[in-house]
This record gives sequence, C-alpha cells and structure tokens, in this order.
Amino acid sequence: MAAYHVVLVHFPIALWMTATLAILWRAISDGPLALAIDRALVPLLSLGLISGLAAYGVGLLVWPWETLSATPLGRNHMLLATWTTAYWGLLLATRWLQGEAVWNGVMRWIIAGLAVLGSVLLGITGTLGGHLVGIYTEISDALRPMGWEVYRTFYVPDVTLATIVAAAVVLVVIGLLGRRRTA
Amino acid sequence: MNKNRLLYVSALIFVGTLGLAWLTQGTGVIRNDAERNISIPSPLTVPLEVKAAYNGSDIFLRYRWAAPKPGIFHDVLRFTNGAWVVRGSAVPGSQSDGLHEDRVSMMLDDGSVPEFGRYGGYVTIGQRLAGMTGEASGRDVKEHPYLGKKLGLDEPTKYLPATRKGLEDWMAVVPEAEQDRLRAAGYFIDLWHWRAHRSNPVGYADDQFVAAGRLSDSGRGPFATNWDAERKQPRLMLDRAKTGRAALKWDDILQGRVGQDDVYYLREDQAVPFDPNAGWQEGDTIPRRSLRAPQGSRGDVGVAGHSRWAEGYWDVALRRKMNTEKPTEDKILRDGGVYQVAFAIHRQASGGRWHYVSLPFTLGLGRDAEIKALRFEGDTPDWRQPAVAVTLFYPGQVNWPLLNSAKHAGAESIRKGVPVKYRHSEAQLAHYGVEKEFAEEIHRQWLFTLGGGVLLIVAFGVALNGALGRKGG
Repeated sequence: MAAYHVVLVHFPIALWMTATLAILWRAISDGPLALAIDRALVPLLSLGLISGLAAYGVGLLVWPWETLSATPLGRNHMLLATWTTAYWGLLLATRWLQGEAVWNGVMRWIIAGLAVLGSVLLGITGTLGGHLVGIYTEISDALRPMGWEVYRTFYVPDVTLATIVAAAVVLVVIGLLGRRRTA
Repeated sequence: MNKNRLLYVSALIFVGTLGLAWLTQGTGVIRNDAERNISIPSPLTVPLEVKAAYNGSDIFLRYRWAAPKPGIFHDVLRFTNGAWVVRGSAVPGSQSDGLHEDRVSMMLDDGSVPEFGRYGGYVTIGQRLAGMTGEASGRDVKEHPYLGKKLGLDEPTKYLPATRKGLEDWMAVVPEAEQDRLRAAGYFIDLWHWRAHRSNPVGYADDQFVAAGRLSDSGRGPFATNWDAERKQPRLMLDRAKTGRAALKWDDILQGRVGQDDVYYLREDQAVPFDPNAGWQEGDTIPRRSLRAPQGSRGDVGVAGHSRWAEGYWDVALRRKMNTEKPTEDKILRDGGVYQVAFAIHRQASGGRWHYVSLPFTLGLGRDAEIKALRFEGDTPDWRQPAVAVTLFYPGQVNWPLLNSAKHAGAESIRKGVPVKYRHSEAQLAHYGVEKEFAEEIHRQWLFTLGGGVLLIVAFGVALNGALGRKGG
C-alpha cells in the first residue's frame, strides 16, 4: 500500500498548500480577487480534508500497527499526520461555521497564522514520510538545531501532558463563555 | 471579556502549550537504570581512525580513537578490613572507580557470513545476551550441554544465527555435527580483541571468533584470574625484587598516579606466589588478572610496536600473519582479497555491551575497498597513508531477532538483502538503540502525546468558534 499512500498524499498536500495561499491572500486583501478566492475556500478545505483522511487511512495499511507504532520515524509520521489532519479540520470547521466573519478584525491574522502553522505541520509530515521510504528533504536537518531530532520519537513528559489537558479545559471554558456572551 | 480578548487569550494558550510541548519533548523517560542494565553513554557517536597495510606475509591494522583517560586498569583485589575484596567488576556503563580497561576489537570475515557484510555485528546479537535487560542467567549457559559443557561458556554471548534452530531462542542450538560443518565451511567471524590491561602489557591482542558463541582460539590466552577461591586470597603478588613493590596502592590508582610506564599489571614473570603474611595494609591492591604470553592460535594477533595513550587518544597497531594456518579459527587473508570488517571500542571504564560499534566496512588487500590495505616491503609499515574515518555508535540492545521481526519496518529489506548503510546512518542507529531500551515507555508516552495534541486542537476550535459566536456573533 506504500505506493498508493504516496500517490494519495499528493492531493491533500496540493489542496492544503493552495488553501494556505488563499488564506494569506484573503488576510491581506479585501479586493474582488481575494473575495472570489475566499468563496472557494470551504470546498478547497473540504476536499483537502477528505483526501487527507483517505491518505491517512491508506497510510495505516502500509505497515501493520505493530510495525508502525514501534518505529520512531513511523510514530513521528503518524503523530504529525494526525495533528495535521485535525488542524486543517479545525480550519475548515471555523471557516464553515463563521463564514466571512473570520476575516473581521484580529481573527483574520489568527486564521493566517494558523494556515502558516498548518503548512509547517504538513511539510514536516511529508518529510517524515520521505524518511520512511528513503527519500527525504533537508527539513529534518533544520529541525535538529531547533531541538528535535526526527530519528527520536516525539513525545512529551507527564507534566506537559497534564498542562495540555488543563489548557484544553481552559480553551473549552473560553469557548463556552464566548457562546454565552453572544447568545 | 470582549470577543477580541477571548481570541487573544485562546491563541496565546494554544501557541504557548505547543511551545511547551516543543521545549519538553523527548524528556521524562530516558534515564539510566542499573536494575534494568541501562546506562546511556554520552556522546552517542565517536570517531575512529583506521589504517591498514600488509607485506605479503603479515597484515597490520592501526586504530586511533579519543579516550579522555587511559583505561589501563581492570578489576583488582583490594585489601579491605583484613580481607581481599574484588573492585572494578563490570557494571552497567562506566565503573565508578574507573577500573575497567579500554579496548578495541575488530570482527573480520571473508564473505562466508554474507549477512555480516551487510549488517555488521548486529547479526551476532541474539536476545537476552549478557548485559541486556532481562539477560539470560549464566547458570543456564553453564548447564547447557553444548554451550556450557562443550564450549565452556559461562554467560550468553554473541553468536551467529545459523548456529541456532531459530532466531528467537538462543539456547536452541543446531546439532554439534552441524556446528562443525558450518565452522569448516567458514561460518564464523574472526575477532581481534585488544585489551589495554589484559593483553597489551604482554604485547598481544586476544584472538577470538564468533560462531555458536564468542569463543577463543585454541591455545592459551594472555590472562588468567589471579584468585585462590579456596583460600580467598590472590594466587600471585608482585615480585618486590623485580618491581620494587608487592602491591599497588588503591589511592595511587584512583588518583592516576600509576601510569602506562609504571607496573600497573601483574605479569607472571614479574610475580611470585602470594604470601598472606607479607604485612598487608588497608588499601593494598593487586590486579585480579595475571598476564602471560599467549600460546597457540590464541596468540596470533600481536601488538605492532607500542600501543599507547597520549594526549587524549589511543594509538594501537596490531599485526597478524595473513595465513595463520587455522582456517576454522582465523580468516585467512590473501593478497588481492576483499574482506569485511567492523570495529568496536570500549572506553571510559565501560565493559560488556556498553561499547561503541561501527557498521561493516570492506577491507581490500591491494584492492579498491572502503579501507584499502597498502602493500609495503619490509617488516614495519610507515603508515603514511591517510586514515579512514569510521563513525562508531552506541548500539543499545537492538538485536538480530528484533530486526527481523514485525517490530522493525526494515525487516523486509533485510530479507531482500538491502545493506544497513543504504537506509540508516550511525547517528540514526544510535538513537534507535536508545529508544529500544525504553520501547514500552516511549510507545505509551507517544500515544498520549498524539491524543493530547488532538485534544488541544479540538479545544482550540471550540474556543475560537465560541469566542466568535454564531457567524462571528
């Protein structure tokens, strides 16, 4: 299934990278072209998510779970792929639910920042996949001086896990407060 | 709180938590644990320089590697509270008193073990070998009818895969007749084993090989154990007439006051039978190993010139006859031949599996190879050729059954014969070795991290959309 996975990943990569350019253009422009591009954003992100989930599903079939989850590069690739897919899902949901309101005020810059972050996650995911099949870019060399050796599994200690859970709870509370405010 | 403030706070929490995850990733799991035989060296990779030369009758190898201190001592017997106590026994990682000798070793094959040329020493590592977490007991090995009673092994050591009925069970050896047939066909790996304490002072390296176990060539080895178990005292002590002392002083050893030019060893020609009434004092120390010139095939590998430590580096040169006339114990080398070699060093008072190893290299005698042995005339090479840089790495507990199992994504590549160098660097293998020592813990922590990240992303989505309200509220 490795070959099919490689074929399939080109679709979400292309669609999400295009979406990143669209978001950045819309963030800096209110002109007619930017508005036209923005109207294509939800379909673009939807296709990206669908093709991303398809590539993810086929990726899980490349190796048995026992193999994939025992290999540092396999673990890292899967972790980044999961986060990337969830992350672009978040962008789709937000644009879909909020409509053009996401371009109001500070929110447009948050969306632009998220798109850049999503592209970075996508790039790292692709690089890790390249390592698994023996063809990879130098992105991993750039990550090394930044503190992550890609040949080691990305995991965090318990105290960070607890912080993540606490942060998630606070974020949900913020969301509920916001809904109450606008209800 | 207004909408913008909620958005700012949400973004700050999200980015801050991601930043914390980035800064703390890879921590909290990997730590030394003596109970599990885990001790991670630092750094994980070190360089080794290698040169080779031959003159038609002898082959010479020269090794140079960094060692912060010269590890010239091994285990000793210290007079403590009226009794002789062993100090410097092997421990996971560095021995705290610095009492474990430095070593360099070289595996050598002529193509008779094809996997060795592709995967190096990994092919010799089975499960539960000495020093691994969950190591097999030495008693089981001693009682094994072939490994213990026939071969004399007393701990689970390196072995070659075809000497076993399967990869998973180190005890399930093939019948003795098959072992002999394999050996006769050259199915063994030659092992040159230079030891800074147990062989260098008498001008030799230990000549061994790996087949059903790590075995010694026929003949007498360069060292013996200096211990009289019945009387609980050393067998020998230094000859005061020849060395000026009957024993060393413990404090002198620890403080580095005994150097390479001093008598730091117990050579049998400089020793006398132990005298329990010699007025022993607290801290008197006698080496636990007595040294003598090896005999037979075991003494085939000699030191070429002086092998010494200076200014932070060991410089060791060894020589051996190209044809030792022991084809079932040594690899016979021929002019124009290409062979496979792999290296290892022990340093910083580490023994056992806490060493650095290399990937396999080719060694050509007058032939193009990764390490080209230059032909010279005379008895001593001038060593003017440039050295070949070899990267050594800490291999952890990665073993051949693991590499051929479903837990290794490259198992299929091994079955296809893809060489390890094609897919892995030494640095990558070192990290892999460390991670495998904490496989279960890292797997669990990775799963939690994966889930935690998804949770954070979803929560951030809830916060963003809640703050904005319906259609931007």
